[in-house]
Amino acid sequence: MPTPPPTDPNAAEGATKSTGPDAPRRSLAVRVRRFIERPRVFALLLIAPALIFFFVWNIIPVLTLIGVSFYNYSMVTGMPPRYIGLGNYEDIVYSFRLWESFGRTLSWVVVTVGIETVLGIAIGILFWGSVRLPGRRLALTLLFTPMLMTPLAAGIFFRLMYEPSIGIINYVTRWAGLGTFSFLSDRSLAFAAVVFVDVWMWTPFMVLITLAALGSVPKAELEAAEVDRLPWWRRLVTVVLPHAKFILMIGILLRTIESFKTMDLVFNMTGGGPGTTTELVALTLWRRAFEAFNLGWSSALAFILLLMAIAFTSIFLFVLNLRRRQQEREASA
Amino acid sequence: MGGTGAVAELEVRKIRKEFGSLVAVRDASLRFDSARVTCLLGPSGCGKTTLMRMIAGLETPTSGDVLFDGKPVTSLSPSARDIGMVFQYPVVYQGLTARQNIMLPLRSLRTLSAADRSRRVDDALAILDLRDVADTDVGRLTHALKQKVAVARAIARQPHIILMDEPVTNIDATTKSQLKYALRRLTRELHQTIVYVTHDQTEAMTLADEILLMNEGEIVQRGSPREVYNHPAHRFGGWFLGNPGMNFVSHRVEKRAGELTLGRPLFARDTHLHGLDGETDVIVGVRPESLAIAGTASENSVPARIKHAAIVTGGQQLLALEVDGRTVKAKVPAGSSYRIGEDVHVTCDPDDVTLFDTDGGKLEVIFRPKADDA
Repeated sequence: MPTPPPTDPNAAEGATKSTGPDAPRRSLAVRVRRFIERPRVFALLLIAPALIFFFVWNIIPVLTLIGVSFYNYSMVTGMPPRYIGLGNYEDIVYSFRLWESFGRTLSWVVVTVGIETVLGIAIGILFWGSVRLPGRRLALTLLFTPMLMTPLAAGIFFRLMYEPSIGIINYVTRWAGLGTFSFLSDRSLAFAAVVFVDVWMWTPFMVLITLAALGSVPKAELEAAEVDRLPWWRRLVTVVLPHAKFILMIGILLRTIESFKTMDLVFNMTGGGPGTTTELVALTLWRRAFEAFNLGWSSALAFILLLMAIAFTSIFLFVLNLRRRQQEREASA
Repeated sequence: MGGTGAVAELEVRKIRKEFGSLVAVRDASLRFDSARVTCLLGPSGCGKTTLMRMIAGLETPTSGDVLFDGKPVTSLSPSARDIGMVFQYPVVYQGLTARQNIMLPLRSLRTLSAADRSRRVDDALAILDLRDVADTDVGRLTHALKQKVAVARAIARQPHIILMDEPVTNIDATTKSQLKYALRRLTRELHQTIVYVTHDQTEAMTLADEILLMNEGEIVQRGSPREVYNHPAHRFGGWFLGNPGMNFVSHRVEKRAGELTLGRPLFARDTHLHGLDGETDVIVGVRPESLAIAGTASENSVPARIKHAAIVTGGQQLLALEVDGRTVKAKVPAGSSYRIGEDVHVTCDPDDVTLFDTDGGKLEVIFRPKADDA
């Protein structure tokens, strides 16, 4: 302690002499550095890029969307946006065509996700039980290819395949003596034809999820069930399902959210037709926004859809937490 | 409930299992005693679990056969074999109570009346002390209790054979002894053919009627716990059993005055022996607790210096001694207090010695006191 005082003034003097004008700036730099190095500030700075990104690309557009939804705003009339309060929402609530489209989307989600889940689980269980089957890997890879395709491209392929005069499917039906079908322009067939393509595309996803879910079943429990001579359905119910259900549930939820948003596939195959038989909500939204350029109305619809997506996500998070809570309960027991 | 289950005779014939280039079990042939507990004992990776899994049908042998009551079951699935099995990790069916867990396999037994089923479950709960937790969800039970439920589930069905694959290994130390005690009582009461796999010699010593000592896929020795401990058939048994295992000290058997004799480093006097063809190199195996340590020299003692000393469980002192340039372990009774650097005298009684050839096989010899002693 006694040594520093005599040297200190000297050093300070020397510093002021050589860099006199710099002295206050340096102390500012030091102050800034001290400020940055505070734990709270430092933590904030680290997450700042992500926050800024989130704010610019998520929060601002959503706020803009909500704002625009209160206006009568069309991009093509050249009229300035006019505030109409809940007018757009009112219009949506009273739009019969939209309710119809919602109903159709609901049946679309239930039918596609339902078929994909049942088929996916069935095929998944088949693959699971065939570990030693030759060519299993190749079969799995082939099975997953539809999932890797762009829905737009898949839509084009199937539109060609469904085509009444040159399509391969009609070639087969004619060969089988069933006659010609205009799958995509027949009111009674179009919906089923599009459902089929969606099932073709997304069943592999449920197979993948099923395999992951089955992989989470402990081997020892399966062996114990085998040794204990439990019948196959009891094994499924008491051993496989309790372990697999969480992953399966997540798969189903992901598919539901995704299926709810389906637009590209339908857009390319039928454009919502014939009539409105295949018009899903996402397609209605797209039409109103980018064909009719009615931005106020479509913003209101988009906001409603966003709320629905948030509802789905909440269910999704609830299910995820269900597992965590159960694990915590088991751990504390 | 003891003795009511059908007891099957279990046999394996020239059974072999290869995993790629690794031979897990090498052509083992043996017959298991009915209504007794046989322990497969050996270090990790010796093939004991593989052997058990082949008996269970969970693993297909590369060659050889498994026979129940003389009938081959090798091609049968585990569920067709009628066995009970307890796994290393407690396996319980989730979302059910302890009672429902034990009941579940019984539900498939069509021949059993509902009353018989619940009686069997009650018996199993009673024998494993599980009545207090019978209606608790198994998810809430400790590992040890879960394992008890798994054991109860295996015995309630009264299968031909019960297999246990290190059931105590993954249980925490405090409840381990409790479970071990329950298993010991259970095995005494059941009179079932039980095959018990373990790498823990204490467990094997406590539970087994017979021990099958395994190493590198082969059965090294078979016998009662005492027999296997006191008379290892192979150097491996001497090394593996005991805590710590046997001392192995190279000696040369020499012909002196017309008699085959063992001498230094462990024997001060010439110790005569019979049963060998001529002069040869041997390995003297002696358990650390069989060596006598004293401060003063006696007739047949050799001088030693204490290199290292430690207290072990039970209070005994474990010493590392230097005898003639070699290190020998000795375990001395509780209460003794030898210090490092101390000079002592070690006596090795030929009666406590097992002789091995240089390949590790046991040599059958008879020690005889020196002619002039007689």
